[in-house]
Amino acid sequence: MASQIWITGYGIVSAIGVGKDAVLRSLLSSSTGISSLRYLNTSHHEFPVGEVKMDNGEMASCLGIGKTEPMNRTALMGMLALQEALQEAGLSADGIGLISGTTVGGMDKSEQYYLDYLQNDSRNDYIKIHDCGATTELMADCLGRFAFMTTISTACSSAANAILLGANMLRSGELPCVVVGGSECLTKFHLNGFNSLMILDKDLCRPFDRSRAGLNLGEGAAYLVLENAEHAVARGVKPLAVLSGYGNACDAYHQTASSPDGDGAYRAMSAALRMAGMDASQVDYVNAHGTGTPNNDSSESAAMRRVWPGNMPPVSSTKSFTGHTTSASGAIEAAICLLAMQHRFLPPNLHFADADPDCVIPVSQLRTGVELRHVLCNSFGFGGNDTSFLLSKPEAGSKLAFLAKEGEVKVYAAKCIAAQNSLAPLCQFPSESLETPFQRAADPDFKGYMPPLEARRLGRLMKRAVVTSKEALSEAGLEMPEAILTGTGLGCIETTEFFLDSLCKEGEQLLKPTCFMQSTHNTIGSAVATQIGCHGYNVTYAHKEMSFDSALYDGVLQLRLGDIRTVLVGGHDELTLSYYKLLEKTGFLGLEGESACEASTSFVLAADGCLDARPLCVVKGIRLLYCPEERALRQAIGCLLADAGMTMSDLSGVVLSVNGNADHDAPALALCRALFADVPLLHYKHLFGESYAASGLGFYVSVACLATAKIPDALYLDPARRSHVAPKALMLFNTTDNKCCSLTLLSQVKTE
Amino acid sequence: MEDLIPYLKKEIIEVLNLNDITPDDIDEDASLFNEGLGLDSIDALELIVFMEKNYGIKLSNPNEGKEIFKSIRVMAEYIQTHRTK
Repeated sequence: MASQIWITGYGIVSAIGVGKDAVLRSLLSSSTGISSLRYLNTSHHEFPVGEVKMDNGEMASCLGIGKTEPMNRTALMGMLALQEALQEAGLSADGIGLISGTTVGGMDKSEQYYLDYLQNDSRNDYIKIHDCGATTELMADCLGRFAFMTTISTACSSAANAILLGANMLRSGELPCVVVGGSECLTKFHLNGFNSLMILDKDLCRPFDRSRAGLNLGEGAAYLVLENAEHAVARGVKPLAVLSGYGNACDAYHQTASSPDGDGAYRAMSAALRMAGMDASQVDYVNAHGTGTPNNDSSESAAMRRVWPGNMPPVSSTKSFTGHTTSASGAIEAAICLLAMQHRFLPPNLHFADADPDCVIPVSQLRTGVELRHVLCNSFGFGGNDTSFLLSKPEAGSKLAFLAKEGEVKVYAAKCIAAQNSLAPLCQFPSESLETPFQRAADPDFKGYMPPLEARRLGRLMKRAVVTSKEALSEAGLEMPEAILTGTGLGCIETTEFFLDSLCKEGEQLLKPTCFMQSTHNTIGSAVATQIGCHGYNVTYAHKEMSFDSALYDGVLQLRLGDIRTVLVGGHDELTLSYYKLLEKTGFLGLEGESACEASTSFVLAADGCLDARPLCVVKGIRLLYCPEERALRQAIGCLLADAGMTMSDLSGVVLSVNGNADHDAPALALCRALFADVPLLHYKHLFGESYAASGLGFYVSVACLATAKIPDALYLDPARRSHVAPKALMLFNTTDNKCCSLTLLSQVKTE
Repeated sequence: MEDLIPYLKKEIIEVLNLNDITPDDIDEDASLFNEGLGLDSIDALELIVFMEKNYGIKLSNPNEGKEIFKSIRVMAEYIQTHRTK
């Protein structure tokens, strides 16, 4: 079956205006929004920036939010853009999905109150809204009841990748309608980070110009409503544009720099065109990533010259208007492309004067009265997370395959580094509960897994991810996966914290670029890609305890769609003692009865028949839900079982996310007893600990039980329920924070 | 100057986490990048921070580093002439 993905609404907040009308006026008058600093509290006044011209109080009052509520700027801008998008589409949040991209999250407040967190404890409410996932929930909860939610963090391509996941969800029939995009506010943290990388220009940025000397940071948010055509028609809604194709590839070259020939960019653009079934010559305009750094613009130009060896379509970078809005840029530039298509103009690349032989020559003056049927939009991130998507006029859009392939998704390898498990075989289980409140993982010897010159710069968590990934691939007998999907709640905390600590205690100078590079969540997944040379689909999820679940969900979705045949899925989080102490204040870690841990898990999943290795178990299905009522959960469980041809009595156990703290566990246990009647309840966090990446451990434990045909006694919550009968199927139920939750159904591999 | 070379070797190993390398492994006339020690652009940025922190030398253009970090000896000479502390 083929159908179209329609864009039925969008909203934008940026330096050139809050709302589409204001943005359109700025574009048509060629007025940049980049100017001297006004809102961000920093000593670096030498750098021009693209700030949204409203302070937090003004945004909050527009949204009707009280001044005392803990808020961050990313969430405030996000809400304004979300509201505009939903309004145009004529939808409420209820029952639809939200996929948001951010990297900064609530860092604006963390850098403001960090010293307070350490000394006074008067601002602890802000610790809770620091991370990416919490920021997404914060904005979403003010607008209604979304049914699905996750957060993507692939640095500067985050919002673009949110568009891709949303589209894949529509194609596989998961939801008929999703809101996708991203939000990112300016912070001292990343302004100083980009400064430490020496890629900020003190003048207005000049993408593709011979004299270009770096980027100007910007901020903003934008969201698009993606809807399958049938759903929109049924609502009597017309499309504003069609999403005709998209591609995601990894440059797999360097932690921050792009390859000289723009390999990742070339692959992403080619994949988008291929999916749309279009020839490159059909593209009427390219909205380039075009940051203005010498490296990006020459690399992207090389890639564009490979896609268009002959006639290059008009190209411009609208970052000359908005500044580089980092994680939000993919959606902000999509919104600008939509305005250009609807109002028939080519947005110019401002401040371009002097051509560079290494670069394409962009459109430097506004052109009006131009028919744009197909527009390609590029969005690239650190670590070479490159994404490209194609927007078309409603009458010109491509139909995409809306079909789940037959056949099963199987797990072929599972590897783990955690407190009581350092690459142990699947049959080896810890039998003793953890006793200490804070437990470091036991590191293997990293030598031999990566060249020493490269290993020296990778943070501990990145090394663990590389090791578990390589071990899993080797166990599955797979040299190169077609996709790498990573979940991490907080990323490389050790280096991020070091950077924040230096910034807050020593001031805005002499900060280490290496630490900044490793503060982006996608640094882990891209390090894995670079180490194994994988150019395939590469996305990182950062949504609290749903980070791993989201990565797994995406992997299963793409395998089912037949877009990929093999995938490496990982869940990775580390912990430092000082960060543990901060999380203790939020009540996420350090509760009576539980142990905090670190976890790195990697799995190889593949469509049936693609690998020779013996499968460990079958993934029957996975559901992610946001704040579901008991009825919705019951329905999801029923659907998962029915789709697998199973009933409740086929379940040998329900693997729970309880962590040993009585107050935390009581509601979850009551809910499970109500939902799963007398299926035996299993737990694992008493053996491995609690972490944002713990659900990866839950998945590991379940795979191990099914692969070894045995549920170890230590996993039973009620010793009376212990059984030595080989388990047939297990349901994982992750409901750590009572908001996001996931259900994953696994079964044993049927022997012929 | 001759004191600065061994000191720089030690410091560079420390700053850039060159765990498996000893000062004796570094030839003061060999290239720090590419075929020599194999350092890259991020190392150059770390060395720029190092020079500012320790010797008060401020570089505003990362390209200047290319000349200065040609070898340990060139770097030592540059520091000797330009240090403000």
